[in-house]
Amino acid sequence: MLRDSSRSRLLLAVLVAAALVLLVVDARPGSDPVTSAARAGGELVFAPTAAAVGAASGPFTRVYDGLSQGPEAADRIAELEETNAELESELQAARIDDQRADELDALLHLSGLGGYEVVPAQAVTRTTARGYAHTATLDAGTASGIEPNMTVVNGEGLVGRVIEAGPRTATVKLATDVNSSVGARLEQTRKIGAITGGSVPGGPEADMTLELFDMEAPIDQGDRVVTLGSHEGAPFVPGVPIGTVDEVQVAPGALSRIARITPAVDFAALDVVGVVVEGPGTDPRDSVLPPKPDPEGDQ
Amino acid sequence: MRAVATLLMVAAAVLAQATIVNRLPFDWGPGPDLVLAAVVAVALTTSPAAAAGCGFAAGLAMDVMPPAEHPMGRYALVLCVAAYLVALLRANTGLGGSGARVSRWAALGVVAGVSVGVGLGYAFIGLVMGDGHVTLAAVAANVGIGTLLTTLVAPLVTLPVLGVRSLLTEDDFATIQGPTSVGGW
Repeated sequence: MLRDSSRSRLLLAVLVAAALVLLVVDARPGSDPVTSAARAGGELVFAPTAAAVGAASGPFTRVYDGLSQGPEAADRIAELEETNAELESELQAARIDDQRADELDALLHLSGLGGYEVVPAQAVTRTTARGYAHTATLDAGTASGIEPNMTVVNGEGLVGRVIEAGPRTATVKLATDVNSSVGARLEQTRKIGAITGGSVPGGPEADMTLELFDMEAPIDQGDRVVTLGSHEGAPFVPGVPIGTVDEVQVAPGALSRIARITPAVDFAALDVVGVVVEGPGTDPRDSVLPPKPDPEGDQ
Repeated sequence: MRAVATLLMVAAAVLAQATIVNRLPFDWGPGPDLVLAAVVAVALTTSPAAAAGCGFAAGLAMDVMPPAEHPMGRYALVLCVAAYLVALLRANTGLGGSGARVSRWAALGVVAGVSVGVGLGYAFIGLVMGDGHVTLAAVAANVGIGTLLTTLVAPLVTLPVLGVRSLLTEDDFATIQGPTSVGGW
């Protein structure tokens, strides 16, 4: 039998009990003042350190680029990155607007909507210590207007949604996370479905899987998938590209059609992203309905 | 002096883990766990009670660091119990080399063993709490890769922490005290 003093065992019991209480308190839905304060304290240390690491890792990243792509290319990249960084937020807003114009308008026959307001941020962590959840940390938080359940995009498409926001950092659940589920719409046929991160039971091994509710809907390799959009744009705004159909699985007797999706976003190279802090001026989903008789709702 | 140095080293491991290791884009899932490697080094050279406290504090620090993807207390619980068990086994069975000094290879072996245990414990808590990420394939891959990477970085974390702690140890006390408390804070 392993010998130990009773005082030592008591301490262990107290610590385990404290951890269990924290687990239960924090796992409950809604925010708790104790855990919120603790997380705020954590990010108080984290935010400046992460910024310093970001600044310090710049030269290493450039050296790596130089080694992998040649010195001329690295110079060119540095030059382009500089320009890019300045225009990034503008560019993203423009892309979102283009997206709205090209795809949302085409799909939903909407027009005259206001643009999305996008807050740029940088992804400062991409992995988690134990590797289960696909999450990223952003270096902007409630101080920049970011709240939970906001859509996160980058220039290529949908990144995920904000699940937790502190004053200076925000946690994003990536669209490839197993627990992530996004309402989706095929760009061409407008058929709706749901995109789940990872694989679904009975589906192919994939980063994302589309379950299409209509068994008869035509779906082919290369079809683009965009977000369906949620009520009042939370957690997902409509019309953001999610990915392209890679492989369609026809399972006899299945209740839905399953397709493997290639994400539009390169999640391994996640860097600058935008958080949609404000959706279009009017609710796009209600706009497709006939106008309400009551005139004070929409103009 | 020793306690202050330990505190600084564990805090540095936590910050390095949260801001540097987690920043690297690992396509395969988990990265090396510097915090675990540092806590094992502390647990091998202290009493069970102090090890449990150290594991709890380090785990809690990782829990409150962004990203907030798991409930607070999950890592603190696992690391607290793991550090306590390491210190208990060290005091009772001479785990990690007999005598006051910890052998280097044994320390690396302990890191690998603790890494497997912590990985499984963390997954078990997820299973109990209904975490959708915990599947057999995911657990096997994450525990395997995580253990491998953690053991690979252990010479850079565990051995320096052990070295600093044995350098600052009060040798007189270490020899006088009984086998249940190898050194102190």
